[in-house]
Amino acid sequence: MSSKTTTGATEPARAGVERLHAAGLHAPADAVLSVRGLNVRFNSENGVVHAVRGVDFDLLPGKTLGIVGESGSGKSVTSLAIMGLLPPTAQVSGSVRLKGRELLGLSDKDMCAFRGNDLAMVFQDPLSSLTPVFTVGTQIIEALTIHHPAMSRKAKEARAVELLAMVGIPSPRERLKAFPHEFSGGMRQRVMIAIAIANNPRVLIADEPTTALDVTIQAQVLEVLHTAQEETGAAVVMITHDLGVVAGMADDIMVMYAGKPVETGAVDDIYYSPRMPYTLGLLGAVPRVDVTEKTSLVPIEGMPPNLLTPPTGCSFAPRCPLASDACLDGEPDLEPVGAGTLHRAACIKSGSLGGSVDVHDVFAAPPVPVSRFDTVPREERRTVLQLKEVRKHFSLTRGALIKRKIGTVKAVDGVSFDIREGECFSIVGESGSGKTTTLLEIMEFHPGQDGEVVIGSLSNKQAADAKTKAGMRRELQMVFQDPTGALDPRFTVYEVLAEPLENAGMGREAIRKRIMELMKLVGLQPDHVNRFPNQFSGGQRQRIGIARALAVNPKLVVLDEPVSALDVSVQAGVINLLDHLRADLGLSYLLVAHDLSVVRHISNRVAVMYLGKIVEIGAVDRVFDNPRHPYTRALLSAIPVPDPQLERTRERIILQGDLPSPLQAPKGCNFATRCPVFAALPPAKQEKCLTLEPPLEAAASTADQRFACFFPDGELDEDMLVVHETRSTIPPEISRPQAPPLAPQ
Amino acid sequence: MLKYLAKRGITYVVMIFLTTSAGYFLAVSSLKPALLEQERIPRPTPEQVANSMRLKGLDPDLSPWQRYVDWLTAIVTRWDWGRSPNGAYINAEFGDRVWISTRLFLASIILTLVIGVALGVYSAARQYKFQDRVITSYSYLAYIVPAPIAYFLVQLGAISINETVGDRIFFVTGISTPGVAPGWPQFVDLLAHYVVPTVAITLVGWGAYQIAQRQYLLDNVNADFVRTARAKGLSRNRAIARHALRVSFIPVAQSIAFTVPAIFAGGFFAEKIFAWPGVGSWSIDAISLQDVNAATATLAYGSVIFAIGAILADFATTLVDPRVRVQ
Repeated sequence: MSSKTTTGATEPARAGVERLHAAGLHAPADAVLSVRGLNVRFNSENGVVHAVRGVDFDLLPGKTLGIVGESGSGKSVTSLAIMGLLPPTAQVSGSVRLKGRELLGLSDKDMCAFRGNDLAMVFQDPLSSLTPVFTVGTQIIEALTIHHPAMSRKAKEARAVELLAMVGIPSPRERLKAFPHEFSGGMRQRVMIAIAIANNPRVLIADEPTTALDVTIQAQVLEVLHTAQEETGAAVVMITHDLGVVAGMADDIMVMYAGKPVETGAVDDIYYSPRMPYTLGLLGAVPRVDVTEKTSLVPIEGMPPNLLTPPTGCSFAPRCPLASDACLDGEPDLEPVGAGTLHRAACIKSGSLGGSVDVHDVFAAPPVPVSRFDTVPREERRTVLQLKEVRKHFSLTRGALIKRKIGTVKAVDGVSFDIREGECFSIVGESGSGKTTTLLEIMEFHPGQDGEVVIGSLSNKQAADAKTKAGMRRELQMVFQDPTGALDPRFTVYEVLAEPLENAGMGREAIRKRIMELMKLVGLQPDHVNRFPNQFSGGQRQRIGIARALAVNPKLVVLDEPVSALDVSVQAGVINLLDHLRADLGLSYLLVAHDLSVVRHISNRVAVMYLGKIVEIGAVDRVFDNPRHPYTRALLSAIPVPDPQLERTRERIILQGDLPSPLQAPKGCNFATRCPVFAALPPAKQEKCLTLEPPLEAAASTADQRFACFFPDGELDEDMLVVHETRSTIPPEISRPQAPPLAPQ
Repeated sequence: MLKYLAKRGITYVVMIFLTTSAGYFLAVSSLKPALLEQERIPRPTPEQVANSMRLKGLDPDLSPWQRYVDWLTAIVTRWDWGRSPNGAYINAEFGDRVWISTRLFLASIILTLVIGVALGVYSAARQYKFQDRVITSYSYLAYIVPAPIAYFLVQLGAISINETVGDRIFFVTGISTPGVAPGWPQFVDLLAHYVVPTVAITLVGWGAYQIAQRQYLLDNVNADFVRTARAKGLSRNRAIARHALRVSFIPVAQSIAFTVPAIFAGGFFAEKIFAWPGVGSWSIDAISLQDVNAATATLAYGSVIFAIGAILADFATTLVDPRVRVQ
């Protein structure tokens, strides 16, 4: 066993940790990685932060463990502790054994023999994780050189080419000489994976490998990880906050909260019969892209605890709707939820949380809000925003003194849509598709624009004077993506909210009254108005942003990725708030989001954009349930669903490559270069796609759905289709050999 | 790359022309050498003064524009930068002084850079340890102490060494001793004159590079790509040396190229204190002596050096940073 043991003798969990240490002696002999009683403490200015408090797991060859948790739950610190990459000031105790060899306590130099060899890692942000001044080839070859100094230059190059080909980088031999900045984010993440698997690791740790990527690219990268695992037979630790990402990949799940695993078990146990209220809440807080029926999301009120002080009771109790006095009496250990199962939960009430408990009852989710406009047919409602053939082209020029035009970027290319009262309209698409530029064009509101923007009764063509513009700002307000960046840190909440009202010429007393009203409206305490934004949590800051937008009573609120910076449990609360405000105040929303599940949950209508054009538009249920454009189909199939069985069996379309540069946009259909239908078409039909631009036309039925594709019913190219084999043939017990067979669910 | 450098070169030639012309107009309209002539004893008549000035090409009666055209024509056609009010030829004076300045600063610039960057790396690797604290504190001290005082202290140190040894090992002022036999004795004499100013300028100069290099390296020590390098199996120090160092050198390379000209053209204190009659002291003297042509010539020299520095900066950046490489 480890030479180091837990130092916190006073800690109540110590007995539990020691018991697990003992269990570690009997860890399965074939486990490649065994972690026992892992504790990490950091010294901070405010005291010792106990970031990881007793993590145990065994990882078997070829298996995948998903570690799920929100920011600050200790999941990344756990992975860095295993890799030995924490700063020297961190105090790590417990045991990490790789193939039976203790890693904790090894010097940085000794760890080098394991890192990158048997133990490899893929990091979150591919843009900053590669050294900008070395070629990709140099960086891959470096990984080989470190562990195989005797390998010849030629052999290493050949291996690097092989690795790049394996992770799906086209013309790998040439790309070896490319620098990281010449790759897109998804490509760089592939290179990171190539580096990680260069020496056939036994354990591959992936820390949020797809969080920074678009959904279509995420699907590609997850596929590459899957291939990498198959090729190397490595065990994978997949760290994520997204329950969907791991559902299809993981064999086992560990849910972490406040630095501690609160529930562990096989993936099906966790998703289908969670026994810890936190897991239950997390699953209920995620909107589903594949569910038509509208239910409110489950918000988990409150914030994760501060890890400076050791908890005296269950760390989740302050946020748990089921908490009772017993929960505050000592922190519960991970205990098996029933006899003979490896499904463990750290909850004294886990016994009463069977599969039949409805999360909406437990967390008292608010009822689905009903708007007064819901019963009015769409055609009879007033139009609050209309775009007619809006275009935004940027000229690309070259030369310092005399500018030559070398091309045009059609960021927005003829976009038309309208939004009616009480409606939420969403624009979705990959980064670079023109979503944000469309919003900026609406906010610009200038007569010189190409195309017409009508907000309420005001058109941009008559917006010559400042008065019209001010009038437009009263009709339309915006909520921004990053709640921290969008609020002036030197303004109190009162000042933030008073500014738009002062601009509107309101009196002091009226402003005061309105601000109190707004605070209550967005669910903040009115007596917090004199606080500064940094005294609020991320979710609360976004509520302030929403209150600021609502201050002048706009008809339309533009939401630019309003929840993408928030944790899942907090996100649910903000989405519910937006939903309820729309119903109560009769607001309309224009939402831009990359998360299609959120879009499905909150919107009535949706437009899918690709390279500046709308390729499909219509009622959200129509478009999501019966997508016609191949791009919409690909986007939808790329979204992971938090349902393991569905994830394993469903067919998904993996688009090849990245969004093409707008300069290389094809002449006919923009999407032809990546289209799975186009790839399977006979050449005669392909000609049509390449030369003619498909118009946005209504579907045959009278339903609210239009799309721009000549062959919506065409067959999909088989190379782009992937179905992961169902794993029903492999008994789940293999991943947990100490366990007796699991009772069927 | 050559084409790019040539393009940059042309841009700088235009800029040098503009600054020099503007400098000439400023000098010709504010510097009045005739006034100084009148302080001579016996006082010359205004006609005599004007006549003597006219002979040296400094006619005060011509319009500034006419004088500018004459001055420019002389440079373009004969590479003649004119004369000083005392009759000296700018070209000859300039040739001597540039060589003196270059000799004074070249060695110390190279030493400053190498020592500054090396100490920056060394102290960054030992952040907050004893060595780091000593080195970085020294650098801040070198920042704060005015250069003349530091030079003076080094001179005092050299003198005390001379006194301790009881022989004159170092010269604290001057370029060379007149009348020393050529060959080995002359070389030793040159070295004895050279050591004190070089050491003094280096001691004061490296602080800035040390602080900058330390800071940029520390910014990169915890960068994601260093973590990636460590995850590949490099030890922390090797990952820093291989991956962080080069990235952190990019901003330093740029600052180096821009500080070089500042030292060359602005080494006024060093030249005065060590009595090396270089370009820096000449530029200040020219103004007090109402010398239009010399003032303009030193300005032109400063611009040229600055342009060379800027091109060097571009070149250095391109060398270390592939992201700015020109296709």
